[in-house]
Amino acid sequence: MQELRFNPLTDEWIIVSTATQRRPVQPTEVECPICPGGVEFKDVKTYDIVSFENRYPSLRRDAPELDFKEKGPFRKERALGVCEVVVYTSDHDSSLPKMPLDQVAKLVKVWKDRTRELSNLDFVKYIFIFENRGKEVGASLPHPHGQIYAFPFVPKRIEAKIDAMRKWFERTGKCPICDVIENESWERTVYENESFLALVPFYARFPYEIHIYPKRHVSTLLELSEIEEKDLADSIKNITMRYDKLFEQEFPYMMMLFQAPFTRDEISHFFHFHLEFNPPKRDKDRLKWMASVETGTWTFINPVLPEEAAKRLREVKI
Amino acid sequence: MKVFGKGFTGGWIVQDLGNGKVEWNIDKVHMGWIVRGFVEGKPGRIEVFRMKTPHRVLAGGWQSWSPFRVFKTDGYEFSYQRSWMYKDTPRPELGNILSDYFFATDNLVVGFLSSKTAHGYFTLEGDEIVGWLDYFDAHFPNRIQIEPFVILEGKDTSVLLEIYASMVARESGARFSRRSPIGWCSWYHYFLDLKWEDILKNLELSKNFPIEVFQIDDAYELDIGDWLETKEGFPPVEEMANAISSHGLVAGIWTAPFSISETSRLFKEHPDWVVKENGNPKVAYRNWGRSIYALDLSNDEALEWLFETFKKLRDYGYRYFKIDFLFSGAIPGERKKNMTPVQAFRAGMRTIRNAVEDSFVLGCGSPLLPSIGYVDGMRIGEDTAPYWSKGKDDGRPSARYALRNTITRYFMHNKWWLNDPDCLLLRGKKTKLTSDQRELYAYTVGILDNMVLMSDDLELVDEDGKRILEETLRLRGGKPRVEGLMEPDEKYVVKSDGTLSGNTRIEVDLSKGKYEMTVEEYSYLKKEKVFKDGRIFNFYEEE
Repeated sequence: MQELRFNPLTDEWIIVSTATQRRPVQPTEVECPICPGGVEFKDVKTYDIVSFENRYPSLRRDAPELDFKEKGPFRKERALGVCEVVVYTSDHDSSLPKMPLDQVAKLVKVWKDRTRELSNLDFVKYIFIFENRGKEVGASLPHPHGQIYAFPFVPKRIEAKIDAMRKWFERTGKCPICDVIENESWERTVYENESFLALVPFYARFPYEIHIYPKRHVSTLLELSEIEEKDLADSIKNITMRYDKLFEQEFPYMMMLFQAPFTRDEISHFFHFHLEFNPPKRDKDRLKWMASVETGTWTFINPVLPEEAAKRLREVKI
Repeated sequence: MKVFGKGFTGGWIVQDLGNGKVEWNIDKVHMGWIVRGFVEGKPGRIEVFRMKTPHRVLAGGWQSWSPFRVFKTDGYEFSYQRSWMYKDTPRPELGNILSDYFFATDNLVVGFLSSKTAHGYFTLEGDEIVGWLDYFDAHFPNRIQIEPFVILEGKDTSVLLEIYASMVARESGARFSRRSPIGWCSWYHYFLDLKWEDILKNLELSKNFPIEVFQIDDAYELDIGDWLETKEGFPPVEEMANAISSHGLVAGIWTAPFSISETSRLFKEHPDWVVKENGNPKVAYRNWGRSIYALDLSNDEALEWLFETFKKLRDYGYRYFKIDFLFSGAIPGERKKNMTPVQAFRAGMRTIRNAVEDSFVLGCGSPLLPSIGYVDGMRIGEDTAPYWSKGKDDGRPSARYALRNTITRYFMHNKWWLNDPDCLLLRGKKTKLTSDQRELYAYTVGILDNMVLMSDDLELVDEDGKRILEETLRLRGGKPRVEGLMEPDEKYVVKSDGTLSGNTRIEVDLSKGKYEMTVEEYSYLKKEKVFKDGRIFNFYEEE
């Protein structure tokens, strides 16, 4: 069963995909399906970076046709889309903080190319690039990899961001992230290079949440120059190294890239491309649960002062 | 500013038009205001908007070939040629048309979001610009929605035009293939002298180019209107398609489906299928040394013929349709049914789309807003030519002004359809274009991410032409924006971030036919696509 169902209570689409139940969870190292010679790369001796369509996709190009008649509030759509896995390196034991900077820079190029190619598909409305690192956020394989979802709709939280950024622009005449960059102080800054600013935002929802903002107003990855690509790679590597060093472990996180939807050019002047790192831990050992208040109301209770989290992350020697 | 003769107020307002009634409301939208409403009865021409005329406006006519440029409003005069009177507007007799559908000035865009029933346009009345919705002679017993219109302000004109284009796309139901094919077209080398041998020769030579679509243009047909019959020297239409397909190319064909020549078999057999004036066939325009009438698209029998014609062409193997001189389908006149010319035009477009299904449809010589949702690509300028410019900037062929429109209408691309900038002419012989002009045209088209179509005797495209083509294709894929739209000196800056060659910028001076381009030094990853158990794997590595 694979389909989209509409929720009229929240005005959002739900993906129903029973295939994802069959996904492998934490197999042993010898079984790693995305190592050279593994299930996905049987005849491949080595590779550099690979993106491939997920064996257990939530959305697919050839989504099943629906035999369904809309009735009252019940609406369905085909689960059209693409779900890709992006393997960062053939080295099973590597990760973003351990990878050479050049490899992370290549990964940014791959993200750009995937974005360009997938956004040309007629049914694609939004491209979401992300990485779940660690079992705490449900990563099923330890081999360094991320994912890309090419959605047939603009997801709810993206719509919320667009609405909020539009509202700010209409009130102030400025893109809100440009405004943040202009007014941000050192106390929340974690790392900065020529093109990017990494900070624990004033409005962090998770303890140790970090955002990476390009200093130049761009709305998508595609607009980054080669120098900016390298600077983004440098920011990502730097931040993930700080996480691991501060907490003396492979610190789990959800890394998410937020681009403006490609089919809606009218928002590019106020939508600022950015990354979010949402770590699920409140310290070395304890988890920050997405419990009733967070899940039910979208209201987050952050137990760590953002300025304090930023100070700790900034002072890590890497 | 005034809306329906009143200042901006809240709530619904009802106005008696004498022969009808209009109800309207104004709301705030991002960057401006939107007016929506309803109309009923026999509204004719309604004034919907009025403002003090700015010093200069970016404006243009209703269809593909209409020049779209900056006009100084002081001393502005509207002129037209008698034999092409509907080329720039369906209302030439008014004599003071400034722009159709929308206009822009510094930090302001005013425009209609659709043209589903009425034709929207702007006239210059003394020191004011007046916006109109024209329902012609149609009568509406039940109320219908007016074409919404917006007033956008507070940002740079280019940004506002991009916002306007996105709003139009949503309101008008834009739907098109995002796959932009690389094509060849016979017109700009062979024109009407095309021979079947030329087709066969270029089909063979096309192997040396990344051509996907091979389109036969005007010249093969028996007459304008007799699309399924070929003239002497050409094989039957079906065989032409087979010859193209057998070379592994998508077969494309040119037609002018809403035009009927006075000499055609179609007109002789169905003289009542044309738009009339005082009961007689009305001349839509004169071309090919003949009078051309307009197909009455309110006539069910004519629509059935149209459907069958295109269905047959599709059955013969054509999957790419360049449909030309479309404005004739929307000229005012007497039609069989009570409907506006816009409604009739859209019925014709819908019929073609239904007949060709998912084939690629390229509009040309077409009213702009009413075509949205029916075409995949659209010509947005006058014809190009194998020379830079000759004569006035009034829609006649020239590379200079074709490229000008490609630049000034850039914001329509990828929102309403794929912009067709007209063909690149890359041959080094039998052309008056200099190497600089060929490059300028091609590179600007690439940076604007437009369709890439060639029109040369491929035998005459040398290594330099191939290099220009290759570089042009590598300039696509970015997010273009034009700066300097409101400047009257034909100097523009086109920037595009994220092209296949990295971030690029081209400064063009059309009056001199010169350019300066900056391309980022960008390194690529090599990509290999592998198909395995129904899935796509992309292997990336450094080049």
